[in-house]
Amino acid sequence: MAARTEHLPHPAYVADPLDERAQPLRVVPGYPETARRNPAQPLVRRAPTLSELTGPLEPAGRLGLLGADVAGHGERRAIGQLMHLRLRVLDQDGSPVRGALVEIWQANAAGRYIHPNDDDHAPVDPNFYGAARVLTGADGMLELRTVKPGAYPVPNSGGWWRPPHIHFSLFGKIWLSRLVTQMYFPGEPLNGQDRIFNAPPSMEARERLVARLLPPSEGPADALVFEHQIVLRGRKATPEQP
Amino acid sequence: MQPTASATTGPFFPPRYVDEGCNDLTRFEGRAARGEPIEIHGRVLQEDGKPLHNLIVEIWQADAAGIFRHPADPRTAQADPGFLGWGRTATDRDGGYRFRTVLPGGYAQPDGTRRARHVNLQLMFSGLMRVLCTTLYFEGQPDNEADPVLAAVPAARRALLVAKRDAPASYRLDIRLRGEGETPFFDL
Repeated sequence: MAARTEHLPHPAYVADPLDERAQPLRVVPGYPETARRNPAQPLVRRAPTLSELTGPLEPAGRLGLLGADVAGHGERRAIGQLMHLRLRVLDQDGSPVRGALVEIWQANAAGRYIHPNDDDHAPVDPNFYGAARVLTGADGMLELRTVKPGAYPVPNSGGWWRPPHIHFSLFGKIWLSRLVTQMYFPGEPLNGQDRIFNAPPSMEARERLVARLLPPSEGPADALVFEHQIVLRGRKATPEQP
Repeated sequence: MQPTASATTGPFFPPRYVDEGCNDLTRFEGRAARGEPIEIHGRVLQEDGKPLHNLIVEIWQADAAGIFRHPADPRTAQADPGFLGWGRTATDRDGGYRFRTVLPGGYAQPDGTRRARHVNLQLMFSGLMRVLCTTLYFEGQPDNEADPVLAAVPAARRALLVAKRDAPASYRLDIRLRGEGETPFFDL
């Protein structure tokens, strides 16, 4: 038996099946692209293998980092409400994910992205690009200095406005921890009407997408301070008994 | 703890996040990858056959010897130092994607089955609330038939995951997100 055990892979992480209620519907009412781009055939259900329980631990070896201070300073300061975001990235055990690559993008304070696909409904801020790419620290934390994004209307959608939100793309310990998500702000009346915010059936899962406003004493005097937590899929495998 | 709910990238994923050269896996940290260099390419289409522009494709694969650069692989100490195994690209106006990589090796699994040479794909795009996961196989590989992942796909749809050799060292796999000839995707 011992000889055989040597050949067993020892996945550092395992991925349990997802709770479907805590994840978004694939086809979302009122979001027509979802009905053209998501499979009509049932997904093929199968257990993960070593191939998906491994994954790129050093994507930053391919992708350049961009600083997490995107609000600018002095005459180059972006227009809008200055904010600090303290983001914590955890695995499903609640352990911090150290050195996780996190990509962040958002609209400016007027609700406009720097992107060729964004139309000209709102002005570009010459001092705001709105993208950062950073690694979490040993404690799974990263700090973003930015301006609060504005809401914006979705074109040809019958009056759907996106609430203020920040996009995140994250790499974890395994292929199945790859996550793209969005963070929302507390107390925004548009949250409850947003077709993307409401896509997970579970109310608790939606609420976990909302950042928390911290008391002003928690940060610099000139900025609102928010904290948010993102949990990546995967938990440590139970070590085998010798 | 529950994993955070995923969401679409939306239409505004920053173009600068698709760095020049991150679809070329044949070099890493100044070293050339071992093995047979190949290209993998194809088009990504939606239900009505319209090509999708700016869709993000990421791949993850073993090196030429079938070893993953990851501590969960028991052979990781022998992994090719010139090969990360990960890449990203965005589709062009014709829905086209292209990677330069090396032909991954197959490997034995502890349960005695054998994974054929394969590449994992993840797709991210406006209208995709979840990352879509699928697996690419290579035409003409005798191991394909016994691959347990390919075997999980209904027999009539397996060929949709097998890239065709369209030139020496070039393999093509078109990806149809929905509709006729729909690519099989996995619930993992």
